[in-house]
Amino acid sequence: MDAQFMVSLALIVATFGLYIGIAIYNKARATSDFYVASRGVPPVFNGMAIGADWMSAASFIGMAGTIMVLGYDGLAYIMGWTGGYLLLTFLLAPQLRKYGRYTVPEFIGDRYRSNTARLIAAVATIIISFTYSVGQLSGSGVVIGRLLEVNTVIGTLIGVVLIAFYSALGGMKGITWTQVAQYLVLIIAYLIPVIFMSLQLTQNPMPWLSYGDVISEMRVLDQELGISEYVVPFTENTKWQFIALMFTLMAGTAGLPHVIVRFYTVATMKAARWSGAWALLFIGLLYLSAPAYAAFSRFILMTEVAGSSLNNLPAWTQAWVDTGRLSLADSNSDGVLQWTELVISNDIVVMATPEIAGLGIFVIGLMAAGAMAAALSTAGGLMIAISAALSHDIYFRSINPQASEEKRLFVGRLSIVLATIAAGLIALNPPGAITQIVAWAFALASGSFFPALLLGVWWKRANGPGVIAGMITGLSVTLGYIFAAKYGGFTILGIIDTGAGVFGATAAILANIIVSLMTSPPSQQTQDEVTDLRYPEQIEYKDGEYWLKEDAK
Amino acid sequence: MDPEKAQAYFRLRTTLIFIYLGIGVLVSYMVVLFAESLSSFSVMGIPLPYYMGSQGAVITFIVLLFFNAAISDVIDRKFGLIPKDKNTDRDNNAVNQ
Repeated sequence: MDAQFMVSLALIVATFGLYIGIAIYNKARATSDFYVASRGVPPVFNGMAIGADWMSAASFIGMAGTIMVLGYDGLAYIMGWTGGYLLLTFLLAPQLRKYGRYTVPEFIGDRYRSNTARLIAAVATIIISFTYSVGQLSGSGVVIGRLLEVNTVIGTLIGVVLIAFYSALGGMKGITWTQVAQYLVLIIAYLIPVIFMSLQLTQNPMPWLSYGDVISEMRVLDQELGISEYVVPFTENTKWQFIALMFTLMAGTAGLPHVIVRFYTVATMKAARWSGAWALLFIGLLYLSAPAYAAFSRFILMTEVAGSSLNNLPAWTQAWVDTGRLSLADSNSDGVLQWTELVISNDIVVMATPEIAGLGIFVIGLMAAGAMAAALSTAGGLMIAISAALSHDIYFRSINPQASEEKRLFVGRLSIVLATIAAGLIALNPPGAITQIVAWAFALASGSFFPALLLGVWWKRANGPGVIAGMITGLSVTLGYIFAAKYGGFTILGIIDTGAGVFGATAAILANIIVSLMTSPPSQQTQDEVTDLRYPEQIEYKDGEYWLKEDAK
Repeated sequence: MDPEKAQAYFRLRTTLIFIYLGIGVLVSYMVVLFAESLSSFSVMGIPLPYYMGSQGAVITFIVLLFFNAAISDVIDRKFGLIPKDKNTDRDNNAVNQ
């Protein structure tokens, strides 16, 4: 038991105690508490909760590493994941808030007047959230495994128990305030190392301003070494892959059920708009820092690790070599580690950097606590989405409409526990890197929910058969392309599996429009309801007339 | 309520959203599409496409969202649409009479 282990353990236990304490304090007492936190969360705090819900292991652990490895081509993640909030806040969230349901499948079922559409949407929610949570649990397994110095399998199991416990206990209300705490933990943990590195390398505590100097120095180094230059576009993938990935992540963001449901937790459309703005500001703090993080890490590795003798490497390297995620092969046997001989996995860059930069045991422990906050908060939100789809959309709305509140809460909690265990079992042997698994979840969301919601809100003429055709086509095309590109080597314009959403979304929109136009239009009442979504709560559109509501809330 | 006024509200909000999304596309997709030719320009010592991808686009998105939230509040107030729990009952009642 070294000091590092004790500090990391203490920080993780302390932060977990905080989250569980908040969850117990806010224990859900009614169904509306459980799903939407009684619709009373103020926008600034809802923004933080969205931020924590949103920033997963892929953002916290994977993103800076992905940018470091891909250079310019990794920036598709930054622009895609933030740009999605424009689509979400401008085109969907306030309107969905006005429609006022508990879940996304419920909106689709009621707007399109179709039980089949609701069931397909519930199944899609489960597939998407499940895929996403496999990424989270595998991320938490890596962190717990590395820090507690136990096998990744045991680390994953510890994560499963913790997630199942607090999401089942608190429901959405507990999760909201837990996520506010988790946001604060993860952003502090992310900013401290990057600020210290900035001070070390440039004597300037503002990494966002100082990393330009580091990039300039790296451009010179890249040219001297004759390697592909960090800031030069499209060295790793084609331009079309960059654009397709960016689109997939944007549309997927706007269609992710567990993120949309966070906009149901505020009181009004106005509050939904402000929530979106605050959320992106809080998310932006991390996303603006990730490229600086990547640049500093690459610079330190290039100047301090590459070029040193293999017998004289820093102590931190051994622990990561043991995890199999860092490889230092002296391929030309000259006893010196060249830059090209150093292969570092995307997923360990952020976790390893505080050690690389020699930042001390407290910062390293804090980093671990932050990474766990990111993985657990997102997994918690995902579990709520899965549980709502199973207990509300499938069980209550389709199987047993007479179910009592207690019974529905019980089914909700049971499905969280079962889903967490099932996702944990797959995460024991994950099918890809964290960012890759997460990108598949986004591709599926952009192929199924984004078109269904976009047309549902903005096109009165879209109907039940249209949305059923759209969701099935979108899901099939997206899944088909992911498998064809990953295992069959099939690509269009160099677009690989992570960019599949562009095809899924296009196919789904076309299918929805064509089938809707070929079948009879929705009832006048439905069309009026869609027109009604154009206006704030105070205006109600009904039977061709506009009514101003006095007691609008 | 007057349908003309309600429709004018919708048109104004939709036009603004189109403008915001247009700016969003300009700072992200357009910069990527013309990345090679924009590489000769630089911001803070970083080539322009890299700067836009790592910071410029994100900052623009954040500003757009706050701008939209604030302007929407102004528009709502102009149209007399203020939530009742915001101690602006007078405005609402005035419109309802």
